[in-house]
Amino acid sequence: MNKFSQPFVYSFFFVCLLCQPLWAGTVEEEFKIEGIISIASTKALQSELLRQLDIKIIDLNLKKTDSGWPILRVQYNSDLITKDKIETVIGEIEDPAGHKYKVHKGPLIANAALTDEENQAISILGDIAVAFRQVKNPTIDHENSIKRGEEMFVKNCAKCHGLNGNGYGVVAHGFTTWPRQLWVWNNADTSADGYLFWILENGKSDMPPWGLVLSEKERWDLINYIKTIKPPGDE
Amino acid sequence: MAEKIKPPRIRISRRIKKNKVFKVKVKFDHPSFTGLAMADDTTEPVFNRAKPVTFIRNMLVYYGDELVSRLSLSSGIADDPLFTFKLKATKEAPVKVVFIDNFGKRWEASKEIKFKG
Repeated sequence: MNKFSQPFVYSFFFVCLLCQPLWAGTVEEEFKIEGIISIASTKALQSELLRQLDIKIIDLNLKKTDSGWPILRVQYNSDLITKDKIETVIGEIEDPAGHKYKVHKGPLIANAALTDEENQAISILGDIAVAFRQVKNPTIDHENSIKRGEEMFVKNCAKCHGLNGNGYGVVAHGFTTWPRQLWVWNNADTSADGYLFWILENGKSDMPPWGLVLSEKERWDLINYIKTIKPPGDE
Repeated sequence: MAEKIKPPRIRISRRIKKNKVFKVKVKFDHPSFTGLAMADDTTEPVFNRAKPVTFIRNMLVYYGDELVSRLSLSSGIADDPLFTFKLKATKEAPVKVVFIDNFGKRWEASKEIKFKG
Protein backbone atom coordinates (compact mmCIF):
# COMPACT_ATOMS: atom_id res chain seq x y z
CA MET A 1 0.00 0.00 0.00
CA ASN A 2 1.61 3.27 -1.04
CA LYS A 3 1.37 6.45 0.96
CA PHE A 4 -1.10 8.03 -1.52
CA SER A 5 -3.78 5.33 -1.22
CA GLN A 6 -3.37 4.91 2.54
CA PRO A 7 -5.59 7.94 3.51
CA PHE A 8 -8.36 6.74 1.19
CA VAL A 9 -8.40 3.30 2.72
CA TYR A 10 -8.45 4.69 6.25
CA SER A 11 -11.22 7.15 5.41
CA PHE A 12 -13.23 4.34 3.79
CA PHE A 13 -13.04 2.26 6.98
CA PHE A 14 -13.88 5.35 9.02
CA VAL A 15 -17.04 5.96 6.97
CA CYS A 16 -17.92 2.30 7.30
CA LEU A 17 -17.62 2.54 11.07
CA LEU A 18 -19.84 5.61 11.12
CA CYS A 19 -22.53 4.01 8.98
CA GLN A 20 -22.58 0.72 10.85
CA PRO A 21 -25.46 1.68 13.16
CA LEU A 22 -27.48 2.74 10.12
CA TRP A 23 -27.00 -0.59 8.38
CA ALA A 24 -27.71 -2.43 11.58
CA GLY A 25 -31.17 -0.73 11.74
CA THR A 26 -32.15 -1.32 8.11
CA VAL A 27 -35.21 -3.56 7.87
CA GLU A 28 -37.53 -4.77 5.15
CA GLU A 29 -41.26 -4.78 5.66
CA GLU A 30 -44.28 -5.82 3.62
CA PHE A 31 -47.63 -4.03 3.62
CA LYS A 32 -50.87 -5.26 2.06
CA ILE A 33 -52.36 -2.20 0.41
CA GLU A 34 -56.07 -1.46 0.00
CA GLY A 35 -57.25 1.19 -2.42
CA ILE A 36 -55.12 0.57 -5.50
CA ILE A 37 -57.80 0.86 -8.13
CA SER A 38 -55.95 2.20 -11.16
CA ILE A 39 -52.54 2.65 -12.75
CA ALA A 40 -52.49 6.23 -11.49
CA SER A 41 -53.05 5.11 -7.91
CA THR A 42 -49.92 2.89 -7.88
CA LYS A 43 -47.76 5.79 -9.05
CA ALA A 44 -49.37 8.26 -6.65
CA LEU A 45 -48.80 6.01 -3.64
CA GLN A 46 -45.13 5.40 -4.40
CA SER A 47 -44.22 8.99 -5.22
CA GLU A 48 -46.03 10.38 -2.17
CA LEU A 49 -44.44 7.82 0.16
CA LEU A 50 -40.96 8.68 -1.10
CA ARG A 51 -41.72 12.38 -0.72
CA GLN A 52 -42.89 12.08 2.86
CA LEU A 53 -40.61 9.38 4.26
CA ASP A 54 -36.96 8.47 3.96
CA ILE A 55 -37.56 4.95 2.77
CA LYS A 56 -36.65 2.81 -0.20
CA ILE A 57 -39.44 1.10 -2.12
CA ILE A 58 -38.26 -2.32 -3.24
CA ASP A 59 -41.37 -3.18 -5.22
CA LEU A 60 -45.14 -2.98 -5.37
CA ASN A 61 -46.37 -6.41 -6.39
CA LEU A 62 -49.89 -6.26 -7.82
CA LYS A 63 -50.20 -9.81 -9.01
CA LYS A 64 -49.78 -13.35 -7.84
CA THR A 65 -49.61 -12.47 -4.17
CA ASP A 66 -50.77 -15.11 -1.72
CA SER A 67 -53.53 -12.99 -0.23
CA GLY A 68 -54.57 -11.32 -3.48
CA TRP A 69 -53.84 -7.88 -2.04
CA PRO A 70 -51.10 -5.79 -3.70
CA ILE A 71 -47.95 -6.01 -1.56
CA LEU A 72 -45.68 -3.05 -1.04
CA ARG A 73 -42.16 -4.00 0.07
CA VAL A 74 -40.08 -1.22 1.60
CA GLN A 75 -36.69 -0.87 3.23
CA TYR A 76 -36.21 1.66 6.03
CA ASN A 77 -34.10 2.46 9.03
CA SER A 78 -35.91 1.19 12.10
CA ASP A 79 -34.00 3.63 14.30
CA LEU A 80 -35.47 6.58 12.43
CA ILE A 81 -38.87 5.35 11.22
CA THR A 82 -41.31 2.91 12.75
CA LYS A 83 -43.68 0.52 10.98
CA ASP A 84 -46.65 2.33 12.54
CA LYS A 85 -45.43 5.63 11.11
CA ILE A 86 -45.34 4.15 7.60
CA GLU A 87 -48.85 2.73 8.06
CA THR A 88 -50.11 6.11 9.26
CA VAL A 89 -48.59 7.90 6.29
CA ILE A 90 -50.06 5.34 3.86
CA GLY A 91 -53.46 5.89 5.47
CA GLU A 92 -53.23 9.64 4.93
CA ILE A 93 -52.28 9.57 1.26
CA GLU A 94 -55.06 10.05 -1.27
CA ASP A 95 -55.07 8.71 -4.80
CA PRO A 96 -55.80 11.05 -7.76
CA ALA A 97 -59.52 10.31 -7.45
CA GLY A 98 -59.54 11.31 -3.78
CA HIS A 99 -59.77 7.81 -2.27
CA LYS A 100 -57.54 7.03 0.67
CA TYR A 101 -55.22 4.05 0.79
CA LYS A 102 -55.16 1.73 3.75
CA VAL A 103 -52.94 -1.05 5.05
CA HIS A 104 -55.02 -4.21 5.04
CA LYS A 105 -54.96 -6.25 8.22
CA GLY A 106 -56.63 -9.47 9.21
CA PRO A 107 -58.39 -12.01 7.02
CA LEU A 108 -60.59 -10.99 4.13
CA ILE A 109 -64.26 -11.31 4.99
CA ALA A 110 -65.80 -11.88 1.59
CA ASN A 111 -68.97 -13.49 2.87
CA ALA A 112 -69.71 -13.87 6.55
CA ALA A 113 -71.71 -16.82 7.88
CA LEU A 114 -75.46 -16.65 7.29
CA THR A 115 -77.43 -15.08 10.12
CA ASP A 116 -80.26 -16.92 11.92
CA GLU A 117 -82.81 -14.78 10.10
CA GLU A 118 -81.37 -15.72 6.70
CA ASN A 119 -81.24 -19.41 7.60
CA GLN A 120 -84.86 -19.25 8.71
CA ALA A 121 -85.87 -17.52 5.46
CA ILE A 122 -84.04 -20.16 3.42
CA SER A 123 -85.78 -22.94 5.33
CA ILE A 124 -89.17 -21.36 4.55
CA LEU A 125 -88.69 -20.34 0.92
CA GLY A 126 -85.93 -22.66 -0.28
CA ASP A 127 -82.26 -22.07 -0.90
CA ILE A 128 -82.20 -21.04 -4.52
CA ALA A 129 -84.98 -19.89 -6.79
CA VAL A 130 -84.18 -22.55 -9.37
CA ALA A 131 -84.87 -25.52 -7.12
CA PHE A 132 -86.27 -27.77 -9.85
CA ARG A 133 -88.61 -30.15 -8.21
CA GLN A 134 -88.87 -33.69 -9.41
CA VAL A 135 -91.89 -33.83 -11.68
CA LYS A 136 -93.38 -36.64 -13.68
CA ASN A 137 -94.88 -36.12 -17.10
CA PRO A 138 -98.53 -37.17 -16.65
CA THR A 139 -99.29 -37.35 -20.40
CA ILE A 140 -100.75 -40.64 -21.64
CA ASP A 141 -101.91 -39.76 -25.16
CA HIS A 142 -98.66 -38.30 -26.55
CA GLU A 143 -99.86 -37.88 -30.15
CA ASN A 144 -102.77 -35.60 -29.29
CA SER A 145 -100.72 -33.83 -26.64
CA ILE A 146 -98.07 -32.95 -29.25
CA LYS A 147 -100.77 -31.64 -31.62
CA ARG A 148 -102.19 -29.40 -28.88
CA GLY A 149 -98.68 -28.35 -27.94
CA GLU A 150 -97.90 -27.33 -31.52
CA GLU A 151 -100.99 -25.11 -31.64
CA MET A 152 -99.97 -23.45 -28.41
CA PHE A 153 -96.41 -23.08 -29.60
CA VAL A 154 -97.48 -21.23 -32.76
CA LYS A 155 -99.81 -19.05 -30.73
CA ASN A 156 -97.57 -18.21 -27.77
CA CYS A 157 -93.95 -19.12 -28.40
CA ALA A 158 -93.13 -18.76 -32.11
CA LYS A 159 -92.99 -14.94 -32.04
CA CYS A 160 -89.77 -15.14 -30.03
CA HIS A 161 -88.45 -18.66 -30.50
CA GLY A 162 -89.30 -18.83 -34.22
CA LEU A 163 -91.72 -21.18 -35.95
CA ASN A 164 -89.08 -23.88 -36.25
CA GLY A 165 -87.62 -23.17 -32.79
CA ASN A 166 -84.43 -21.60 -34.13
CA GLY A 167 -84.55 -18.70 -31.65
CA TYR A 168 -84.99 -16.07 -34.36
CA GLY A 169 -88.63 -15.13 -34.00
CA VAL A 170 -89.98 -11.88 -35.43
CA VAL A 171 -89.58 -9.99 -32.16
CA ALA A 172 -86.39 -11.71 -31.00
CA HIS A 173 -84.11 -8.88 -32.09
CA GLY A 174 -85.59 -6.67 -29.39
CA PHE A 175 -84.23 -8.75 -26.52
CA THR A 176 -80.90 -8.42 -24.77
CA THR A 177 -80.43 -12.19 -25.04
CA TRP A 178 -81.50 -14.25 -28.04
CA PRO A 179 -84.26 -16.72 -27.23
CA ARG A 180 -83.19 -20.32 -26.79
CA GLN A 181 -82.92 -22.59 -29.81
CA LEU A 182 -85.48 -25.13 -28.79
CA TRP A 183 -84.23 -28.02 -30.90
CA VAL A 184 -81.63 -28.68 -28.17
CA TRP A 185 -84.45 -30.47 -26.33
CA ASN A 186 -85.15 -32.80 -29.25
CA ASN A 187 -85.76 -36.30 -27.88
CA ALA A 188 -84.69 -35.21 -24.38
CA ASP A 189 -85.37 -37.85 -21.73
CA THR A 190 -87.43 -37.44 -18.57
CA SER A 191 -84.50 -35.90 -16.64
CA ALA A 192 -85.09 -32.62 -18.51
CA ASP A 193 -88.77 -32.48 -17.49
CA GLY A 194 -88.17 -30.73 -14.15
CA TYR A 195 -86.05 -28.01 -15.78
CA LEU A 196 -88.42 -27.42 -18.72
CA PHE A 197 -91.47 -27.36 -16.49
CA TRP A 198 -89.83 -24.87 -14.12
CA ILE A 199 -88.71 -22.55 -16.93
CA LEU A 200 -92.17 -22.62 -18.51
CA GLU A 201 -93.83 -22.02 -15.18
CA ASN A 202 -91.57 -19.24 -13.89
CA GLY A 203 -89.96 -17.77 -17.00
CA LYS A 204 -86.33 -16.81 -17.42
CA SER A 205 -84.61 -13.59 -18.50
CA ASP A 206 -87.05 -11.92 -20.94
CA MET A 207 -89.37 -14.94 -21.07
CA PRO A 208 -92.53 -14.38 -19.03
CA PRO A 209 -93.81 -16.89 -16.48
CA TRP A 210 -96.23 -18.96 -18.55
CA GLY A 211 -97.47 -20.60 -15.37
CA LEU A 212 -99.71 -17.56 -14.98
CA VAL A 213 -101.25 -18.08 -18.43
CA LEU A 214 -101.20 -21.77 -19.23
CA SER A 215 -102.62 -24.58 -17.18
CA GLU A 216 -100.41 -27.43 -15.99
CA LYS A 217 -101.81 -29.74 -18.68
CA GLU A 218 -101.16 -27.16 -21.37
CA ARG A 219 -97.57 -26.74 -20.19
CA TRP A 220 -97.01 -30.48 -20.45
CA ASP A 221 -98.47 -30.43 -23.97
CA LEU A 222 -96.00 -27.72 -24.84
CA ILE A 223 -93.07 -29.65 -23.36
CA ASN A 224 -94.10 -32.74 -25.33
CA TYR A 225 -94.14 -30.69 -28.53
CA ILE A 226 -90.80 -28.95 -27.77
CA LYS A 227 -89.17 -32.36 -27.49
CA THR A 228 -90.22 -33.11 -31.07
CA ILE A 229 -88.64 -29.96 -32.61
CA LYS A 230 -85.79 -31.18 -34.76
CA PRO A 231 -82.57 -29.32 -35.54
CA PRO A 232 -82.07 -28.09 -39.13
CA GLY A 233 -80.93 -30.88 -41.40
CA ASP A 234 -82.76 -33.54 -39.40
CA GLU A 235 -86.14 -32.45 -40.79
CA MET B 1 -66.71 0.66 4.35
CA ALA B 2 -66.05 3.44 6.76
CA GLU B 3 -69.05 5.56 5.84
CA LYS B 4 -72.22 5.13 7.84
CA ILE B 5 -75.02 3.50 5.88
CA LYS B 6 -78.45 5.00 6.40
CA PRO B 7 -81.46 2.71 6.85
CA PRO B 8 -83.55 1.91 3.74
CA ARG B 9 -86.65 3.91 2.83
CA ILE B 10 -90.02 2.52 1.71
CA ARG B 11 -92.59 4.26 -0.46
CA ILE B 12 -96.08 2.89 -0.81
CA SER B 13 -99.16 4.27 -2.50
CA ARG B 14 -101.44 6.18 -0.14
CA ARG B 15 -104.62 4.68 -1.55
CA ILE B 16 -104.61 0.96 -0.99
CA LYS B 17 -107.81 -1.02 -1.33
CA LYS B 18 -108.42 -4.41 0.19
CA ASN B 19 -107.50 -7.36 -2.07
CA LYS B 20 -105.95 -5.02 -4.65
CA VAL B 21 -102.33 -5.17 -5.78
CA PHE B 22 -100.14 -2.30 -4.63
CA LYS B 23 -96.62 -1.28 -5.48
CA VAL B 24 -93.79 -1.06 -2.97
CA LYS B 25 -90.61 0.88 -3.69
CA VAL B 26 -87.56 0.40 -1.50
CA LYS B 27 -84.49 2.59 -1.78
CA PHE B 28 -81.32 1.59 -0.01
CA ASP B 29 -78.14 3.63 -0.27
CA HIS B 30 -75.60 0.84 0.07
CA PRO B 31 -72.31 0.53 -1.82
CA SER B 32 -71.66 -2.44 -4.04
CA PHE B 33 -68.15 -3.40 -4.99
CA THR B 34 -66.63 -6.64 -6.23
CA GLY B 35 -63.42 -5.77 -4.41
CA LEU B 36 -61.37 -6.11 -7.57
CA ALA B 37 -59.65 -3.59 -9.84
CA MET B 38 -57.12 -3.62 -12.65
CA ALA B 39 -54.13 -1.49 -11.70
CA ASP B 40 -51.67 -2.68 -14.32
CA ASP B 41 -52.45 -2.78 -18.01
CA THR B 42 -48.93 -3.58 -19.19
CA THR B 43 -49.47 -7.32 -19.23
CA GLU B 44 -52.49 -9.53 -19.50
CA PRO B 45 -55.59 -8.18 -17.74
CA VAL B 46 -55.35 -9.50 -14.20
CA PHE B 47 -57.41 -8.04 -11.43
CA ASN B 48 -55.99 -7.39 -8.02
CA ARG B 49 -57.84 -6.86 -4.78
CA ALA B 50 -58.52 -3.19 -4.35
CA LYS B 51 -61.00 -2.88 -1.52
CA PRO B 52 -62.98 -5.30 0.64
CA VAL B 53 -65.87 -6.86 -1.27
CA THR B 54 -69.16 -5.25 -0.30
CA PHE B 55 -72.68 -6.08 -1.45
CA ILE B 56 -76.21 -6.73 -0.23
CA ARG B 57 -76.54 -10.48 0.20
CA ASN B 58 -80.19 -10.95 1.03
CA MET B 59 -83.35 -8.90 0.95
CA LEU B 60 -86.26 -10.29 2.94
CA VAL B 61 -89.81 -9.00 2.59
CA TYR B 62 -92.31 -9.52 5.39
CA TYR B 63 -96.02 -8.70 5.19
CA GLY B 64 -97.26 -8.76 8.74
CA ASP B 65 -95.57 -11.74 10.36
CA GLU B 66 -95.35 -13.67 7.11
CA LEU B 67 -92.14 -13.88 5.07
CA VAL B 68 -93.34 -13.34 1.52
CA SER B 69 -90.11 -13.06 -0.48
CA ARG B 70 -86.36 -13.47 -0.35
CA LEU B 71 -84.06 -11.91 -2.92
CA SER B 72 -80.63 -13.50 -3.08
CA LEU B 73 -78.29 -10.84 -4.47
CA SER B 74 -74.66 -10.67 -5.51
CA SER B 75 -71.87 -8.12 -6.02
CA GLY B 76 -73.28 -7.55 -9.51
CA ILE B 77 -75.99 -5.36 -8.03
CA ALA B 78 -75.79 -1.57 -8.47
CA ASP B 79 -74.73 0.92 -5.85
CA ASP B 80 -77.71 2.40 -3.98
CA PRO B 81 -80.31 0.10 -5.55
CA LEU B 82 -84.02 0.80 -5.91
CA PHE B 83 -86.29 -2.24 -5.63
CA THR B 84 -89.88 -2.22 -6.83
CA PHE B 85 -92.28 -5.08 -6.28
CA LYS B 86 -96.00 -5.67 -5.95
CA LEU B 87 -98.00 -7.17 -3.12
CA LYS B 88 -101.65 -8.05 -2.73
CA ALA B 89 -103.28 -6.09 0.07
CA THR B 90 -104.89 -8.93 2.00
CA LYS B 91 -104.60 -7.42 5.48
CA GLU B 92 -103.83 -4.26 7.37
CA ALA B 93 -100.32 -5.00 8.58
CA PRO B 94 -96.86 -3.54 8.23
CA VAL B 95 -94.65 -4.30 5.22
CA LYS B 96 -91.14 -4.82 6.47
CA VAL B 97 -88.04 -5.07 4.32
CA VAL B 98 -84.80 -6.41 5.77
CA PHE B 99 -81.41 -6.09 4.09
CA ILE B 100 -78.39 -8.16 5.10
CA ASP B 101 -74.99 -7.50 3.55
CA ASN B 102 -72.04 -9.84 3.06
CA PHE B 103 -70.61 -8.90 6.46
CA GLY B 104 -73.84 -10.02 8.12
CA LYS B 105 -74.90 -6.45 8.96
CA ARG B 106 -78.66 -5.89 9.02
CA TRP B 107 -80.88 -2.94 8.14
CA GLU B 108 -84.66 -2.78 8.07
CA ALA B 109 -87.51 -0.47 7.21
CA SER B 110 -91.23 -0.91 7.59
CA LYS B 111 -94.42 0.85 6.65
CA GLU B 112 -97.94 0.27 7.88
CA ILE B 113 -100.59 -0.72 5.34
CA LYS B 114 -104.00 0.82 5.94
CA PHE B 115 -106.93 0.43 3.61
CA LYS B 116 -108.57 3.52 2.14
CA GLY B 117 -111.66 3.58 0.01
